[in-house]
Amino acid sequence: MAARRSGSAPRWLPPVRAAPPGRLPPLDPTAGSRALRFDLESGHTKCISDEIKVGAMAVGKYHVVGPDPNFPDAQLPESHRISLRVTSPYGNSMHYAENVQSGHFAFTAAEAGDYLACFWAPDHKPPVTIGFEFDWRSGVSTKDWPSVAKKGKVDMMELELKKLEETIKNIHEEMFYLREREEEMQDLNRKTNSRMAWLGFLSLGICLSVAGLQLWHLKTFFERKKLL
Amino acid sequence: MARRRPAALLLVVAMAAVLAAAWRAEALSVTVTDTECIHEFVPYEGDTVSGNFVVVDHDIFWSSDHPGIDLTVTSPGGNTVHTLTGKSGDKFEFKAPRGGMYKFCFHNPYGAPETVSFYIHVGHIPNEHNLAKDEHLDPINVKIAELKEALESVTAEQKYLKAREARHRHTNESTRKRVMFYTVAEYLAFMAASALQVVYIRRLFSKNVGYNRV
Repeated sequence: MAARRSGSAPRWLPPVRAAPPGRLPPLDPTAGSRALRFDLESGHTKCISDEIKVGAMAVGKYHVVGPDPNFPDAQLPESHRISLRVTSPYGNSMHYAENVQSGHFAFTAAEAGDYLACFWAPDHKPPVTIGFEFDWRSGVSTKDWPSVAKKGKVDMMELELKKLEETIKNIHEEMFYLREREEEMQDLNRKTNSRMAWLGFLSLGICLSVAGLQLWHLKTFFERKKLL
Repeated sequence: MARRRPAALLLVVAMAAVLAAAWRAEALSVTVTDTECIHEFVPYEGDTVSGNFVVVDHDIFWSSDHPGIDLTVTSPGGNTVHTLTGKSGDKFEFKAPRGGMYKFCFHNPYGAPETVSFYIHVGHIPNEHNLAKDEHLDPINVKIAELKEALESVTAEQKYLKAREARHRHTNESTRKRVMFYTVAEYLAFMAASALQVVYIRRLFSKNVGYNRV
């Protein structure tokens, strides 16, 4: 992978978000701003990785945002384009986009491990820093709650409680996973421990046998040479 | 489409306030060569921003342990809100002094690139002030939001543990490989040294070198 370096990060204040206390938020909580914002220098690559389990859905959305923090509504320059490649742990390319201003991808993980999303921007003269927002969700958080609400005709509170239930289930599963991993690690450590003990004895054995061989060989040699 | 009455509309909006209470993020990893900055939007002043990061070591060859990386959290106004130096993994939590785009910068003082797995969560609980302002905001929503926040903190701890476990496993496997390799290398070196010894002694006694020299 090419060098990953971050440029200076211009701060960007999106319009009308810093609401004074007491004012209610916009109706759609998923409207923007759940994403993380990164800065990409032209000519450089930035890679973000996430560990995804087998069979889990992964959904990603990305778009280039205004570069100047003081003018969030400024026109996005056409030249600010990024390219993205998402690779699986075994190297298969799950998504590829070249020179786009926004995009999205979704896939079901066939292999467990680290999925890598690498962004890069072509070289500019003079070098510019392109800001982009990237929202990557996997597993449980990909569930489309508004559609679940519509389908089941559940009211908001029930939906919230359903979400809580999903979260708790997820926590439970994660605990199982952690427990499994801890067991594997304990196994590995125990094996290493016993292997060390075995190797200690082997080391002593090799030492003694090599010394014995040496002595025997030299003795035979000297007897042959009629020195002893 | 049925016309919504203002009260019902307010209730829906209040529910949306609860929905907006917890902002989820995934535990992502970036490779930090020098400095990497991540921006996260904090919508309200007083929101609790919590998170953690763990340095999942690359293969460090010589030094026993990486001295750690620095984390600096900068508020939209430019002030440093939170600093952590020389840590190879830690949790952090702070109350946002104002709303806006916060910058989380990881700085690696040493040249070797490090992979950092981080998780940032912004939580908001509609407080009593909101309750007083709008009588349709049911106190139960506040409780649900608190419950959600508590669960999110459990999730955050889990992600931290998972990342640390990954790092621990990495260290263990590296130790195992190194121990095996060095032990076998030690045996081979030992045997080679003793073979060289024998060869040298034999040469000392060989006729063409000199019979009475020894």
